[in-house]
Amino acid sequence: MNLVPSSTGSYPRIGDSPDLQILRRTIAAVDRNERTPSDLADAEAEMIRRAIEEQVRGGLELVTDGLIKWNDPISHLAGKLAGVKIKGLLRFFDTNFYFRQPELTARPERKGTLLVEEFAFALKVLGSTPTPSEKAGRLALKPVLTGPYTLAKFSLAAISGMTSLEARAEAYAEALAAEVRALVEAGARFIQVDEPAIIKYPEDWKTFERALGPLVQARDDEAKAGKRAQLALYVYFHDAAPLYDKLARLPIDVLGIDFTYNPKLVDVVAAAGSPIPLGLGLVDGRNTKLEDPGAVARQIEKMMPKIAGGKAYLGTSSGLEYLPRDRAYAKLELLGKTISAVRVGASALAR
Amino acid sequence: MSRQKLEKLGLHLPLFPTTSVGSFPKPDYLLKARADFNKGKITEQQLVELERKATAFWIAKQEELDIDVLVDGEMYRGDMVAHFAERLPGFTEGGVVRSYGNRYYHKPVITGEVKWLKPITVDWWKYAQSLTKRPVKGMLTGPYTLMDWSFNEHYPDRKAACMALAGVVRKEVEALIAAGCKIIQVDEPALSVRPEELSVAVEAMHVVTDGLDAYFLAHACYGAFEYIYPGMLEMPVDNFDLEMSNGDLKLLALFRSHPFTKDISFGVVDVHSHHIEDPTTVRKRLGDALSIIPKEAVWVDPDCGLKTRTVEEAIEKLRVCVQAAKAYRNQPRATSA
Repeated sequence: MNLVPSSTGSYPRIGDSPDLQILRRTIAAVDRNERTPSDLADAEAEMIRRAIEEQVRGGLELVTDGLIKWNDPISHLAGKLAGVKIKGLLRFFDTNFYFRQPELTARPERKGTLLVEEFAFALKVLGSTPTPSEKAGRLALKPVLTGPYTLAKFSLAAISGMTSLEARAEAYAEALAAEVRALVEAGARFIQVDEPAIIKYPEDWKTFERALGPLVQARDDEAKAGKRAQLALYVYFHDAAPLYDKLARLPIDVLGIDFTYNPKLVDVVAAAGSPIPLGLGLVDGRNTKLEDPGAVARQIEKMMPKIAGGKAYLGTSSGLEYLPRDRAYAKLELLGKTISAVRVGASALAR
Repeated sequence: MSRQKLEKLGLHLPLFPTTSVGSFPKPDYLLKARADFNKGKITEQQLVELERKATAFWIAKQEELDIDVLVDGEMYRGDMVAHFAERLPGFTEGGVVRSYGNRYYHKPVITGEVKWLKPITVDWWKYAQSLTKRPVKGMLTGPYTLMDWSFNEHYPDRKAACMALAGVVRKEVEALIAAGCKIIQVDEPALSVRPEELSVAVEAMHVVTDGLDAYFLAHACYGAFEYIYPGMLEMPVDNFDLEMSNGDLKLLALFRSHPFTKDISFGVVDVHSHHIEDPTTVRKRLGDALSIIPKEAVWVDPDCGLKTRTVEEAIEKLRVCVQAAKAYRNQPRATSA
């Protein structure tokens, strides 16, 4: 059994103490023309360092940069594409978090890299972060992309060619596939693609599946050129059970799912199994209540025998920026305690 | 339509009553005072005096702008959920989390049974009402939003938490009515977050408003209303205060497919933009509303609270709201659906 403690994406970019509020203050100061964009870059870099350091100290092996530079999961990527105007606020699923909605004034086109610089910086940070001896050689960084279907679903169209969801998804897919290639070229070996909208709007399956194609192709093309990377699809903020079988059969390397919306999803997975490793979002990334590691371990033990290769990525149900920083860190530690409980359980069974 | 109810309550409002959603920006001296209070540099009494001064400023400003139904501007509030959570046993203050962009708030944690011990908003409402003869709205955060925007470590599930909070909010409503408040707005911006839970929000609002003698508004914003409309019309309130302009009035398409059966406070200016809409744009938005909704049912206000704008921006946004309402009020044949 191979359980990898993993990030599911974001990490709080603020905390209660003044030193954890530098980014917030710097952004406000830049808005008032009291600080410069260079100051902002320094503040972002500092919070990225802290996010990575905390993830490593909390026991994660597969970390992210915390998505610290992201205003939200939609406009951060869409806003970098030509032909996209960023408009009003909209609630992000059932969270009390809001994103700015893109409006397509032309076919969205990638004029430069979207995340490569952020990934390269975070990679350097991870390289200089003190590594606990037991984690030596096991730490990795994954970039996170919001998928083409979810971007398309939350985008408006200002031109006739982009009014259909299919057209928007196809255009975003082309741009994101190019980014997948660039990320692999930059050294990414595990790329997370978030498509939370598909489990909320299952009627869009065909569009979603078609839009995923170019990203899969980009991964395969890079593999043929000798650069292998895993593509992980993550879905959250709704019940994944109705689509589970179809999701697990997609040509991806890992499927990450949020278990907090349906207490029976563990049984669904245990019954159906999985042909690919799973991202197990069993620890609630949205509520401060700390789970019992033993209870989570029992859920894992139910599913693991049916997961291909006996490999899974244990994480929170969503990114952690929905929690206060101290609880976010406590959830990281809880992942480690859960893995310890699984190991104890497994060895007890072995005896 | 609730014109009769308003009249019965003694509220003789003009056509297209103008109002605001709740919050206004805090003047610089109050922002500094709040920071100083947090550092222990000034006393609570000194802070309250400045909050009263700022409240008086906004009441006078709303009168000057000729707004019909006033708000106290929430000079004493930080966050709309935390303000109540800090005053209700059962809640514990949580750490900061982000709401959007560079905006953060302290998200409360329900750690025990939530109880109402004494009025929370009544003294501020009384003070604001004492400053004007125009009606001042009572302003509360609704039970569904209090639940959804808090972490829950106590109640077994979301519904249990929501219904417990509904009982608490009702007590605050009763206290406002006892103090003389006749128009009460219950803010439920989380209303659309889980369409499958709309019935929970409706049931909770019944607990809050049933059998009570006041004109009730529910404010909701930035949501996926297409998934809860027309079911949301089951909410037992007289008026829905809705953000319309931020979404380019796209909700009107829903109202075309199924009639909007309540009064509406129609957001005619976007509160998340520094840009002050020109009067023509605002009048057109109101005109679009009147092409679908009966004129007797339409109130006019900004999309949402104005606290994120500067004082000057907020005043100008309010001014164009009033101008638009008056422009239609003065047309003898104001459009009616």
